[in-house]
Amino acid sequence: MNELLEKLLEAVESGKADQKSPFPPQLKGQDGALELTISALEAGVSPQEILESALIPAMDKVGKKFTENKIFVPQMLMSARAMGAAMTQLKPFFTSGEIKTKGTFIIGTVKGDLHDIGKNLVAMMVEGSGWSVIDLGVDVSAEKYIQAIRENPGAVVAMSALLTTTMANMGNMINEIKAASPETKIFIGGAPVNNSFCQKIGADFYSPDPQGIVEYLNKQAS
Amino acid sequence: MTSRERVLAAIRHEQPDRVPVDMGATPSSGISAIAYSNLVKHLGLNLPTRIYDVVQQLAQPDMEIIDRFGIDVLDIGRMFNDKEEDWYPVTMANGDTAYYPVWFKPVLQPDGSYATFDTDGTTKLAHMPTGATFFDQTYFPYLDGYPENYDHLDEEMGRILWARYAHSPWDHASEADFWPKLREKALWLRENTDKALLVVCGCNLFEWGTFLRRMDNFLMDLMCEPENVERLLDELLKRHLATLEKVCHYLGDVVDIIRFGDDLGMTNGPFMDAETYDALFKPRHKILCDYVKEHSSMHTFIHSCGSISMLIPGLLEAGIEILNPVQTNCAHMEPDYLKNEFGDKATFWGGGIETVGTLNIGTPEQIRSQIFERMDIFNKGGGFVFNTVHNILPDVPPQNIVAMFDAIKEYNAKQ
Repeated sequence: MNELLEKLLEAVESGKADQKSPFPPQLKGQDGALELTISALEAGVSPQEILESALIPAMDKVGKKFTENKIFVPQMLMSARAMGAAMTQLKPFFTSGEIKTKGTFIIGTVKGDLHDIGKNLVAMMVEGSGWSVIDLGVDVSAEKYIQAIRENPGAVVAMSALLTTTMANMGNMINEIKAASPETKIFIGGAPVNNSFCQKIGADFYSPDPQGIVEYLNKQAS
Repeated sequence: MTSRERVLAAIRHEQPDRVPVDMGATPSSGISAIAYSNLVKHLGLNLPTRIYDVVQQLAQPDMEIIDRFGIDVLDIGRMFNDKEEDWYPVTMANGDTAYYPVWFKPVLQPDGSYATFDTDGTTKLAHMPTGATFFDQTYFPYLDGYPENYDHLDEEMGRILWARYAHSPWDHASEADFWPKLREKALWLRENTDKALLVVCGCNLFEWGTFLRRMDNFLMDLMCEPENVERLLDELLKRHLATLEKVCHYLGDVVDIIRFGDDLGMTNGPFMDAETYDALFKPRHKILCDYVKEHSSMHTFIHSCGSISMLIPGLLEAGIEILNPVQTNCAHMEPDYLKNEFGDKATFWGGGIETVGTLNIGTPEQIRSQIFERMDIFNKGGGFVFNTVHNILPDVPPQNIVAMFDAIKEYNAKQ
């Protein structure tokens, strides 16, 4: 593999966003994901290859290490930040259609819930696996989801809740979304949610961690 | 045994005569105002629902409830706001009437949510969405980075909802005679009840970082700005030690337990690895614990949500004796694992029943069975105070709370 892509993969996996970033200490002063992406593009590597050969495998490794408790949220956030730095350079190619994504993923926290760290992590991991992500933010109503689905036909939907009180809103929201768009697949996640709750309220998939969602999505896309 | 003897025996890892029980002595072993109001109605009682912790919307259980259910420990904060004129009525999300302390005046927003504002009238400090049952923080003073100096740290901390709307006794902390009055009230409880006494004194370190910088930023700071993190933690430590000096001086010989807080865990694992905890937080938790031990007879208690078993060795080395809420529904927090691994040193204050999954939706038989199982594991050789896994939330039906206390009574009768 191209040496630049190898370095980029390492930068994202270890959470090195740019040259100035002091983390991780062993890469101090070296180029980060931002500079390496610019260099790769300048060297003629295609944006699609940067995504597929460096960013996606890096975030895949990060997701797996997180699931195995080998790294924790701080390291995962650093990797997501590094991926975000690389993405700033790739965004124009997403817009122009030069990069083909695997699909569109619409995510938010349920009505009444303002807690978004888990949701943000899932959004970043899914984006890092090659999906186009539309983040509707926090306290999102069923109507807002439905409108986003209309604007992005075929999109997959995800909603999270941190509280037992707000997870109760998921059932009604899923009914409303499924009534408007029966084919739409809906994921749920968050601390109080589990698989039996997922089945009870008619959601399509639950995962206790971001990696589970990424793997499920990739199976759908393949 | 008296209630106090029972709790202290458990903490000393001696077998108490029965399992000691808490409900309401801390803001993480309490009961939500809606669940409490439902319980009071179910019992046919006429007691006000006083929301003493306005952020989490928790009720202060009346002494009638405490005595009825054989609860063994009291928060000394309950001695403040003890007059009717200290409270005013509000309507909760379920339509019931409850009471707020007179100093708490959230503003109803056009969309039905509630917000609170700083003295400038525009900076939003906290927000409770429509139908939600507690307030969220909306103001993060160091969102854009760390300040050059900490000359204004006290003011900024005062804008964080947890400090601004602190529950009693701290809502009276600015009064001139607060400390002697606090001692007097604690002494009254000591002389007039047989309960163990607890003082909630946050001394949060990790959490203050997340309140000031916002969770996601502070988590990344642990990795990429450890020097700034340590500088902030030292400033916080200075302030916490100043508070502890007063707490130990005025309460150290009266109160049995001092409760710190620092949420270090999430569902799947701790927020950080043990190495990071041990480097940044353990030395400072140790300074807090050492101070308490040198200057009082109080036992040290920490509240930390989530899966923290990887950090428990560090917490115990720092001098923490009691762990709460023992979130057994998280990864690596199985009751028998915790008891086998840490039971000789730690006292588990919680883990008695799952609030989510059992207490809220279980049958009385499922509740009984889980409580018996947990008691068998945790109460062996002491080191256990019964409490639900964190606060009893609004969705817990009153019948299930009664079933929980019935099961505890039945278990104790068999001992």
